[in-house]
Amino acid sequence: MNVLKPLGVYIHIPFCRSKCQYCDFYSIGGSRDRRLVDNYLEALAVHFKEAGALATDYIVDTVYFGGGTPSFFGADNLRRIFAELQHRFRVDKDAEITFEANPDSVTESLLKKLRAEGFNRMSLGVQSDRDDVLQKLGRPHNYEQARAAVHSARKCGFDNVSLDLMYGLPNQTAPQWKETLRHVLELKPEHISCYGLKVEEGTPLWEYKDAANLPSDEVQAEMYLDTVSILDEFGYGQYEISNFAKPGYESRHNLKYWLGEEYIGFGPAAASDFAGKRYTYVRNIETYVRGVLKQDIPILAECDAIPARERAGEYVMLRLRTTQGISPEEYEKNYLMPFEPLLETILPLEQRDLFYQKDGHWILTPKGFLVSNQIIGLLQEAQDRSEPLAKKR
Amino acid sequence: MTELSKIRNFSIVAHIDHGKSTLADRLLEETKTVDKREMEEQILDNMELERERGITIKARAVKLNYRADDGQDYVLNLIDTPGHVDFNYEVSRSLTACEGAVLVVDASQGIEAQTLANTYLAIDAGLEVLPVVNKIDLPAARPEEVKKEIEDVIGLPAMDAPEISAKNGINIHSVLEMIVHDVPAPKGDREAPLQALIFDSQYDSYRGVVVYMRVMNGIVRPGMDVKMMASGAVYKVVECGYLHPKGMVPADALGAGEVGYLTASIKTISDTRVGDTVTGAENPAAEPLPGYKTCQPMVYSGVYPADGSKYGDLRDALEKLKLNDASMYYTQENSIALGFGFRCGLLGLLHMEIIMERLEREFNLDLITTAPNVVYEIDKTDGSHIAVYTPINYPDPMEISQAYEPYVKASIITPPDYVGNIMDLCQFRRGEFKDMTYLDQSRVELHYEIPLNEIIYDFFDALKSRTRGYGSLDYELIGYRPSKLVKLDILLNGELVDALSFILFADEAYARARRICEKLKDNIPRQMFEIPIQAAIGGKIIARETIKALRKDVLAKCYGGDITRKKKLLEKQKEGKKRMRTFGTVSVPSEAFMAVLKMDE
Repeated sequence: MNVLKPLGVYIHIPFCRSKCQYCDFYSIGGSRDRRLVDNYLEALAVHFKEAGALATDYIVDTVYFGGGTPSFFGADNLRRIFAELQHRFRVDKDAEITFEANPDSVTESLLKKLRAEGFNRMSLGVQSDRDDVLQKLGRPHNYEQARAAVHSARKCGFDNVSLDLMYGLPNQTAPQWKETLRHVLELKPEHISCYGLKVEEGTPLWEYKDAANLPSDEVQAEMYLDTVSILDEFGYGQYEISNFAKPGYESRHNLKYWLGEEYIGFGPAAASDFAGKRYTYVRNIETYVRGVLKQDIPILAECDAIPARERAGEYVMLRLRTTQGISPEEYEKNYLMPFEPLLETILPLEQRDLFYQKDGHWILTPKGFLVSNQIIGLLQEAQDRSEPLAKKR
Repeated sequence: MTELSKIRNFSIVAHIDHGKSTLADRLLEETKTVDKREMEEQILDNMELERERGITIKARAVKLNYRADDGQDYVLNLIDTPGHVDFNYEVSRSLTACEGAVLVVDASQGIEAQTLANTYLAIDAGLEVLPVVNKIDLPAARPEEVKKEIEDVIGLPAMDAPEISAKNGINIHSVLEMIVHDVPAPKGDREAPLQALIFDSQYDSYRGVVVYMRVMNGIVRPGMDVKMMASGAVYKVVECGYLHPKGMVPADALGAGEVGYLTASIKTISDTRVGDTVTGAENPAAEPLPGYKTCQPMVYSGVYPADGSKYGDLRDALEKLKLNDASMYYTQENSIALGFGFRCGLLGLLHMEIIMERLEREFNLDLITTAPNVVYEIDKTDGSHIAVYTPINYPDPMEISQAYEPYVKASIITPPDYVGNIMDLCQFRRGEFKDMTYLDQSRVELHYEIPLNEIIYDFFDALKSRTRGYGSLDYELIGYRPSKLVKLDILLNGELVDALSFILFADEAYARARRICEKLKDNIPRQMFEIPIQAAIGGKIIARETIKALRKDVLAKCYGGDITRKKKLLEKQKEGKKRMRTFGTVSVPSEAFMAVLKMDE
C-alpha cells in the first residue's frame, strides 16, 4: 500500500456578529439566516464528497475552521461540518483541529461540545487589552470577555490556546503596546500571533485612515522588535514573522502555508494548494452554494498551475517568513537552480544584520523580517538572472 | 490643376488661444470641405497630444474649394500653424509656402506678444497680412479699440477688418471673401523645370516618407523621376495629390502655385530634408529654392531609455520623429550613470515636453530625461574657445579663463497694474531692463535682456501667476555675455551621478543646491539603508540631505489566500523597479531626474 500524503484542510465560516473596521476577509456581518446556514452546510457536505474522492491517497493531519467567526456560527454547525469531513476524508487521530473564536461567542457549552468532538486548538481574537480601543475597532467584546474565554477553554480541556493581538493601532504608543503584551501574557497562552494593523482598501478604516492617528513606520518597527524580544524572554519562540509559540505548540496547519505543503480549502474565498495547482473560490456565499449544489455556475475565482521555477520563487518568499529560513542544499535539489546568485545578495545583508546562518540555513533576523518585502524582491531578481542548473551542465 | 489666378495660399497666425484653430474649423465648414456631421472641434489638430492640450504643435495643410461671390471657383490652401513661442520655427516654415496670412486678434485681449512676433514673421516673409478681429460676441469685446491698436502698434490698415466669432460662426463668409480679394495669387511658371519646397514630411509604414510641399515652378506627376536637391537622391513618384482633413486625395499632377504631397517609396529618412527642393531628375532646375535658415535649438537635454537595452529603439524613434519635426536636433551621448543615450536640442521646455511625450506614446518607450541646459561657451586657458552642450563635457574650473552664457531679448506685454510684479520677477531672474512702452492705456510692453537659462525653466508660469494670466511673452536670442558659471554635481551614497549634474550661475549655486537635494529626497523612495544626497562644486560639498533607511516593509499576514495576492504584489514591485535606474546600490525613479527642475519658488 502507498504511503499516505499529509493534507491540511481549511474550512471558511463566513459569518460574524458584526464586521470590524479593519477587516477585509470575506464574511457576512450580523446574519445567521437559517436557510442560508442550512444551504451552506449542505454545500460543504456535497463539496467534501466530491473532493474526498480525489484525495484517497491523502491523510488529513490538520483541520482549520477560520472565518468569519466560527464560534459565532455555533458548536452544532461546526460539529456537523466536522462529522461530514470525517465521513469523506481520512482524518488522522492525532490531527490538529483548530477553530477561530471571538470572546463574545465563546461559551462553556460550545467549548465542551467541540472538545468532545475532537477539536483540540482554539485561536482567540483578543486584539487589545483596552476596551476603548476594542470599541473603536468595532470589536463586539471587551477584554474581560477575552480573559473569561481563555479561562473557560482551560476548564473545558483545551491545552492549546492561541491569542491574536494587533499593534500599530490608532493612537497606540510603543510603551502602551508593551504593556498590552505583558498584560495578555498573564493569560499564559501556548501560542501568540501579533499582527501589525494593515489598512486595506475597501474597509471602513481606509476611509478615515488619515484621521486615525496611526503610529509611524518607525514606531511600528519599534513595536515589532519589542514584541520579538519580550516574547522570547517569556519563552515564546518566533517561528514566523507574526507567530510565536511555546516549544512544540507551533501551528501545524499554518506552517503548511509557509513550508509549501498541500492544503485544500472549502467555502467562499477559500484557497487551496493541491495537486500542483493553486486555486481560490469565489468571494460570495450564494454563488458558492449554488455552484456546488446546482453546478450551473463556476465557483473558481482563480486557478493556476504553478511551474517549477515559480515554486522556487515561492520557496524563497514563504520560507523566509519562517525561522527555518532557506536551505541552499534543499533549494538546489528541489528546484535545480543555483543558490550562488542568491548568496551574493544575502552576504551583504548578513553584514547589515538582516540575515543569519544556522545549520546551513539562511534566516532573516527580526530586523530583516521588518523589510522582508524588499529582501524577497532582491532575491527574486537574483533568481530571474540565473539559469537552471540542469541547463548549465 | 487649378489656374494660378484661382489659387490662394494662406496661413492663419495668432497669439495662442485667440481662436486660430477654431477659425480653421469654421472655414472648413463654410466651404463644405468637411460635412457638418463629420466635423469635430480642432479638426486639424489630429495629434492626440494637441487635442488633450488644446494647442497646435504641428503645422498642417488643407485644400478648400470655394465659390466666391463673383461666381468663380477658387482653391484656398490653408496652412495651419502653432501659436506658442517654442514653435516659431514651424510658423516661419509654413509661411514660405503662402502669399498671405490671416492675423487673428482676440477682440477682448487685443495684441499680445505672440501676435506681434508672428505678424513680424509673416511680414518678413513678404506676406500680405490681413487682420481679423475674433470673439466679437464676448461681453468684454472692444473691436474698435483693438482695430486701432492693430493700426497703431503694427501699422496695418485694420478699419475694414472683418469682425467675427469663429466659435459661433459669425461673419466667416467675409473672411473667405477677404482671402479671395486680398491674398495675391501665386506666381510661378508651369513650363519651367520643377521646383517644389518641402515644408514638412511624415513617415508612414506603408508608403514610406510622405513629403508635403509647395510647388513653386513646373509640374510634378506620378511616374516622374524626381531628385532631392540637397541629398541628390532620386526617386520615382508613386503618388501625388492634395491634402484633405480626412486624409490624402490623389491627383494626376500638381502644378506651380499648388500645395500638396508626394510619395515615392522613400525609406531612407535622411534623403528628404525639410527645406530642400524637389526637382525633376531629367530636367533639373538650375538652383534650389532658398531653404530655411537652420533653426537653433535653445535647450539641450539628455534622453535615455529607462531600460538600457532599448537604445536601438530610441535611435529609430528619434530618426522618425526628426522627419516630422525638423527643429529637433540630436546626437549620441554617453553617461557613466545612464549608459548610451542622446543629447537632444530643442526649442524650449514645452517643445521638450511634447517631444518626450510623443516618443513615449508614438514609439512606446520609457524614457529618462535629464535636466535641460542652454549652450554655454567657454574660453579655455589654453586659448581655445568651446561650446558646451552638456554638463558632462563641462571643463574643469582650472581650465576655464572665461565662461559665457546666452542672453535673450524678452518682450513682455501686460496690463499696467502688473508692471511692478514683472519688474521684480525679471530682476530676480538677472534681467536687465531696456525700455517700456504703452501700447495703449491698457497695455504696456516691456523689454528686458535676460539670460536664456532664466527663461527656459518656469519663467512663463511665474509670469502668468504674477499677471493673473494676462502677461504674454516672446523672446529671441541676442548673443553671449561673460558670466560666472559653475557646475554642480550630485552624489548619491557618495557616488557621483553624472546625469544629475548641471551648470548654473555661481551666485545661485548654494540656494539651488539645497533645493535640489530636498527635491531628490522627496523623489527617491526610502531604501534598505540610509542614502546621503550631496551637492558639490568641484570637490566641495555645499548641500546635503539624507534619505532615511526604510524601517518597515513587510506583509504581516500571509495565509492560504494571501499567497497569490502576495505574488502579484511582488510582480508589481518588480515592474516598478524597471522604471528605476540603479546607481551603485541606490535605485532612482526616472521622474527624479526631471523633478530637480521644478524649482517652484
